[in-house]
Amino acid sequence: MQERILEILSEYCEEALTYNGDSMMEDGIIDSFTVINVVSDLEDEFDIEIDAKYVIAENFRNKEAIIALVQKLLEE
Amino acid sequence: MQFISYSFVILWMITFALYYLLPKRMQWYVLLAASLIFYGVGLGGFPLNLLLTGVTTYGCGIYIKKALEQEKEARKQCVDREQKKTVKAAFQKRRKRVQILYMAFNLGLLVFYKYAVIAVPVIETLMGRHAGFLEKVIMPLGISFYTLTAISYVVDAGRENCEAETDFLKVLLFLAYFPSVTQGPFNRFSQMKEQFAGEHGFSYDRMLRGIQRFVWGAFKKLVIADRLGIFVDRVYGVEAASVSGSIYACATVLYMLQLYADFSGYIDMASGVSETFGIILPDNFRRPYFAKSVAEFWRRWHITLGAWFKDYVMFSFVMSGTGRRLGKACKNKWNGYGRQAVPIMGTMLVWFFTGIWHGRTVSYMLWGIYYGLIMSVSLVLEPFYESWKERLPVKGKHGERIWTFIRMARTWLIVFLADVLIRSGSLAQAGAIYTSFVTRLHIGSLLSSEITSYGLGRYDFLLLIPVLLIWLAVSAAEERGLDVRTVLAGRPAVIRWACYYGIVLMVLITGIYGGSYDTAVFMYQSF
Repeated sequence: MQERILEILSEYCEEALTYNGDSMMEDGIIDSFTVINVVSDLEDEFDIEIDAKYVIAENFRNKEAIIALVQKLLEE
Repeated sequence: MQFISYSFVILWMITFALYYLLPKRMQWYVLLAASLIFYGVGLGGFPLNLLLTGVTTYGCGIYIKKALEQEKEARKQCVDREQKKTVKAAFQKRRKRVQILYMAFNLGLLVFYKYAVIAVPVIETLMGRHAGFLEKVIMPLGISFYTLTAISYVVDAGRENCEAETDFLKVLLFLAYFPSVTQGPFNRFSQMKEQFAGEHGFSYDRMLRGIQRFVWGAFKKLVIADRLGIFVDRVYGVEAASVSGSIYACATVLYMLQLYADFSGYIDMASGVSETFGIILPDNFRRPYFAKSVAEFWRRWHITLGAWFKDYVMFSFVMSGTGRRLGKACKNKWNGYGRQAVPIMGTMLVWFFTGIWHGRTVSYMLWGIYYGLIMSVSLVLEPFYESWKERLPVKGKHGERIWTFIRMARTWLIVFLADVLIRSGSLAQAGAIYTSFVTRLHIGSLLSSEITSYGLGRYDFLLLIPVLLIWLAVSAAEERGLDVRTVLAGRPAVIRWACYYGIVLMVLITGIYGGSYDTAVFMYQSF
C-alpha cells in the first residue's frame, strides 16, 4: 500500500518523496491542485472516500501523514 | 478606534496592566472586555451585528456538537460498514441543512451591508421615490473579516477539525478579539482556543518583542505607505489623458508597495499587540514580492484569506457530490487535461469570490477573474515550463539566478497590471492608463520636474530611498530565515537601542500624520 501511495504522489510531485519537513503545503512543495489530484487517485486506488474534512494541511504535511490518513480511512 | 490613536494606546496600556495584574483565570475576560470596548468605540454604537453573528455561530456550533455526539452513538449500534455509511449520510444531511441556514443568514447580512450601497439607489429609482434608507445603513466595522472567521468556526466544527465551544463568551472573544477584528488575520478556532484559555505570565522579552513589531508596523504604515499614498492618490486623481505612461507606471509600482506596506504594517501592529498578551496570531504575509510565480505570490500575500478560500470554497466544491461527479466525467477527456477541469473550476470560483470580497465594483470582479485565469493557464502549461527553460541559455548557478529574477519580474508584471485595475477609479480610467503605457510612455517624465508635482517633493523621494532600503534589507534577512528581532537582541546594547530609537524617531519625525498624531486610517479596513 505504501509503495502505491508513494507512486501516486511522485506522479504529481517527486519532491514530496524527499521532503523531510512537516508543512509540505505551506512550504510550497505541493499546491492545492496536486492535493486534489492525489486525493482523487487515492480514492480510486483504495476505494475510499476522502471527505473535505480530511483535506487539511495537517494530513498533507509530509508523505508519512498521507500514508497514515489512507491507513486510517481503510480501517474505518 | 484606530491602532494609531491616543485612545488605542490608552486602551492597550490599561488592558495590558489588568491582564497581568488580575488573577490569570480572568485574562480572557479582560481581552473580551477590551475587544468590546475597542469594537463599540470604533463603531460608535452597540455592536448588534457582531452579537447576532456571535449568537448564531455559538448556537450552530452547539447544534453540530450535539448532532456529532448523537451520530457517534448511532454508529455504535451499526453492525456493518454499509449501515454506518447510511447513518453517517443521514446525520451529515441534517447538519448540512442547519449549516446552510446559518450561512444564508450571516452571508446575507454581509452581502446586504456590502451591496446595499449599490442596490438601494437602483431600487429607489425603480420605485420612483427616495426613502432615505441608505443614510441609515452603516456597514459594521470588520464585518467582512468576522463573518468569514465565524463561518470557519462552524465548518471546522462540522468537519470535526475543532470542537464547538460551550461558553458563548469564548465564541464572542474569538470573533471580536480586538487586534484582528477589523482587518484580520483570519484566525482559526483550533489555533486560538488554547491560547485564549491559557494562563499567561508576564514576560519582559515578549512585551519588548510585541512593542518592536508594533513600531515596525507603524514605520511601514506611516513612513512608507502613507507617504507613497500621497503620490499615488494625486496621479490617479487627475485626468488620465494629461499624465504620461511612465508617471502612471511609477505610481502603480508605488501603489504596489503602498498596499503591501499598509496592510502588512497593520498585521505587524496587530500581531505585536497580541504578542504582548502572549497570544500569537497566524502569519499573513511572507515577503510576497520575492515570489517566483503568481501562485506563490498568493501563498505569501494575505495568507489567511487564501487559506480560507482554499479550505472552505475550493476543497468544499471539489470534494462535494457535484465536484466529484464532474471530476469523474472529465477525468479521461481532452487528452488527459480533463482531470484538471474541476481544479480549474474551483480556482475560478475561488478567485471570483476573492474579487467580490475585496470590492463591490466590476473592476474587482475582473481582477478576480484575471487571477483565476492566470492560475488556471499556469496549471495547464506547467508541464511545459521545464522544457522551455531547457531551451533558454540559463545554465549553472549564475543562470539559475537570472532565471529566478526573470520569474520574479514576471510575477511583478502580472501584479502590476492587476493593480492598475483596482486602483483606477473606473474601467475607463484603467483602459486609458493601459493605453498610456503603450502610446505615451515618455520615460523622460521620470527625470523631469513633473515627478515632484504630485504631492511628493524631492526630499520625500530622497527619504524614500534609505527607508525602502531598510525595508528591503529586513525582508531579505527574513527571506534567509533570520528573525531580525532575535538578531538585534544579540547585538551590543548601544547598537540595539540605536536601532530601536532610530525607528521610533523616524516614525515620529518622518511619519505622515493628519491634523494630529491621531489620524491614520488603514486601506484594508474598507474591504
